[in-house]
Amino acid sequence: MNTNIVEGIILLVLVLVLYVVYFIRGDKGKLKDASKKSAKLFIQNSIRLFAIFVIIALLDKFLSPQAVSQFLLKFRGFTGIIIGALTGAVMMSPAATSYPIGQYLLAHNASYSLVAAFLFTWVGIGVVALPLEFKFLGKKFALIRNSFTFIAAILIALLVGALL
Amino acid sequence: MKTILKDWAIEIVILLTAIVLAIFNPSKVGSALLSATKTYLNLFIVIVAIALLSSFIVVTIPKQTIGKIIGKQSGIKGVLIGAVFGTLMIGPAYMFFPFFKELRDKGAGANIIATTIGTWAIKIAWIPFSITVLGWKFTLLFNGLIFVFAILSGMLVGAFYKE
Repeated sequence: MNTNIVEGIILLVLVLVLYVVYFIRGDKGKLKDASKKSAKLFIQNSIRLFAIFVIIALLDKFLSPQAVSQFLLKFRGFTGIIIGALTGAVMMSPAATSYPIGQYLLAHNASYSLVAAFLFTWVGIGVVALPLEFKFLGKKFALIRNSFTFIAAILIALLVGALL
Repeated sequence: MKTILKDWAIEIVILLTAIVLAIFNPSKVGSALLSATKTYLNLFIVIVAIALLSSFIVVTIPKQTIGKIIGKQSGIKGVLIGAVFGTLMIGPAYMFFPFFKELRDKGAGANIIATTIGTWAIKIAWIPFSITVLGWKFTLLFNGLIFVFAILSGMLVGAFYKE
């Protein structure tokens, strides 16, 4: 079975336990509020997330792992770290997809730094999800957070390179 | 009507993009839609759980309580709670943006939300796979650094972002 589904079930069960524990004493009004809000959030989030999934799927069709690896192997040194971080920021598939690409890159003499930068921004920064972050958390917050995350990616890459 | 357009601008742009691309390359767009649907179905349970969890927090937990636990003034304890939460959670971080919004509205600190999104990059469930593919040295150092830098960059976000 798919790990997302297993993890999803664990999360859902934990949330349902919260509901049961809290509402067993009965506060029917609040339970009604929570159900109404849940339904509304579920529908809104579904539409917004589906739109993001469509963009990610389109991206996937045009950027195959092979093409991305071939592209990244062209770069070395500090430029490699920057290009690795920028490329990872565009990629949006689940983290597990990125590890074999990292393995391939290492096997073909890419530096640990480049691989670390690429793998970190793959999950740490999502250019495609940026509009969603603007919408929910505010433009200012999103821009500040992503800038610092990018700087962190470069520093993590340099440290991994220095320590390994 | 105007507010609906503004509220859903991103989704409308994506829809129009898909339609335009579909005119030129219907088979690629078709298979992209199919895989988007698959992703949605895979994450369906998580999406339901997030909606239930967000509204539970909004309806039952008073603002002062959230502020005390993970507010800006909650100190290192709040930061660690945020960091550990992000480490343990599953799925892509952007799925939880609506949830983070509810927490922010309830008084959660910007520094802590930033830290949580930062440690989201650690995928506990995938660490064994990462070790077999990339080696244990790389995996442990990499994830350790992500944890530390999530806290550091969270602090900087807190310092630069004025609520």
